Amino acid sequence: MAKPKAKVDSKKCLACCGCISVCPQDAIMWCSGRAFVNKDECTGCSICVKTCPVGAIAQEVC
Amino acid sequence: MKYDVVVVGSGPAGSVTARFAAESGAKVLVLERRGEVGVPVLCGEGISRKIDKWDMFEGTRWIAGKMDGARIYSPDGTMVKLSADKAGNETGYVIYRDIFDQELAKRAMKAGVKYQMNARVSGLIKEKNKIKGVKAKQFDDEFEVEANIVVGADGVESKVGLWAGINTTLKPVDLETCAQYTLSGIDCNEGYCDFYLGQKIAPGGYVWVFPKGKDVANVGIGVLASLSEPGMAKKLLDKFIAARPELKKGMPLRFLAGAVPVSMPVETVRDNLVLVGDAARHVDPITGGGLTHCLEGGKIAGEVIGKAIKNHDFSRESLMEYENRWKDSFGKKIKRNYVVKEIMLDMDDKTFNMLADSLKDYNFDEISTLSLVKALVLKHPSLLKRLSPLIKAARA
Repeated sequence: MAKPKAKVDSKKCLACCGCISVCPQDAIMWCSGRAFVNKDECTGCSICVKTCPVGAIAQEVC
Repeated sequence: MKYDVVVVGSGPAGSVTARFAAESGAKVLVLERRGEVGVPVLCGEGISRKIDKWDMFEGTRWIAGKMDGARIYSPDGTMVKLSADKAGNETGYVIYRDIFDQELAKRAMKAGVKYQMNARVSGLIKEKNKIKGVKAKQFDDEFEVEANIVVGADGVESKVGLWAGINTTLKPVDLETCAQYTLSGIDCNEGYCDFYLGQKIAPGGYVWVFPKGKDVANVGIGVLASLSEPGMAKKLLDKFIAARPELKKGMPLRFLAGAVPVSMPVETVRDNLVLVGDAARHVDPITGGGLTHCLEGGKIAGEVIGKAIKNHDFSRESLMEYENRWKDSFGKKIKRNYVVKEIMLDMDDKTFNMLADSLKDYNFDEISTLSLVKALVLKHPSLLKRLSPLIKAARA
């Protein structure tokens, strides 16, 4: 079963770009001052979730 | 649009590179995805005073405070004091990054560099695998910039490098995930940058208090990403502040999050391409300080790019002078400090406490390896064995 994909809460994101720089799939991009996860590229590894200093990323429950 | 050089990012590295390239005669464009240079600030705002010698600024509006030195606190609170010139590349001034970045941009604009705001670069233009410029979007308008040299000054995410085939993705062990309050109305000293270590205080990193005047300071934390859990940086920072009445009484002027690379530098030169600043991972792996390297490296990059444009040679060989010069300037130090960082990550709180206890009365003005070793062995003989890989690496 596929791992749940990451999603950024744009209300909490402070655009530090940490998640973007550690994503092994290059699946996250900066978009209008917030991080945004491309669901098609995300493999659910959760590195971004753990990295976020303010807990703005969660893995979506399918 | 056609330019000699297009710079992606208007941070310190981008603006300094642009300025020196333009002063050598190149036609330069800087693209910035945000609406304002230097905003939002994503920085601890500490910098060494050696930048005074580099003629980068007019005036001093960017200075928030002048530091006499640094105080380093081990987990049990033992303090080691260092004067500013011995305290690494983050101690000297505490600055206003927004003004700092804008002053550097103004200097580049004075040299003829063009700036475009709200312009987000989405990719490189490649023709038969050769880099010919960048694709960008300003609001809904897509446009292309043709340039002989593309400069990746796009910070920690370093996508320009990635698109050029340089592996800039950071491993979690090579990233500090950070959060910071600028607090007003606190009790703080005005002359020292304070650094707090401890596995429960900041795993794989440290908490800092950088004063910005009488009762204002940046209070921030860096946690190693490989040791982080969701929201850990903010949680631990809040805990640190709550436990200290002199900070707890403060009100936040600002809260920000940040990401600092603490890795080895990457390949920084390809045909028609140069990486500078955080994008090149020109950051000290121990302190997380990158501003001085941005300025130093940016100047070298600008000069070499200027030469390349004059000689009409944009090849990797021609641009390689930049990589050779920054390696000579600060590359060796970054490499050495990366090894030291790895060793420090293995040291437990007990070892840090013993180290601090041995060094708290040490006279750093007369520093020498022999006197340092003597000081360590005198108080805590077992330290010498524990620290031998550190001493070895520090002397490399």
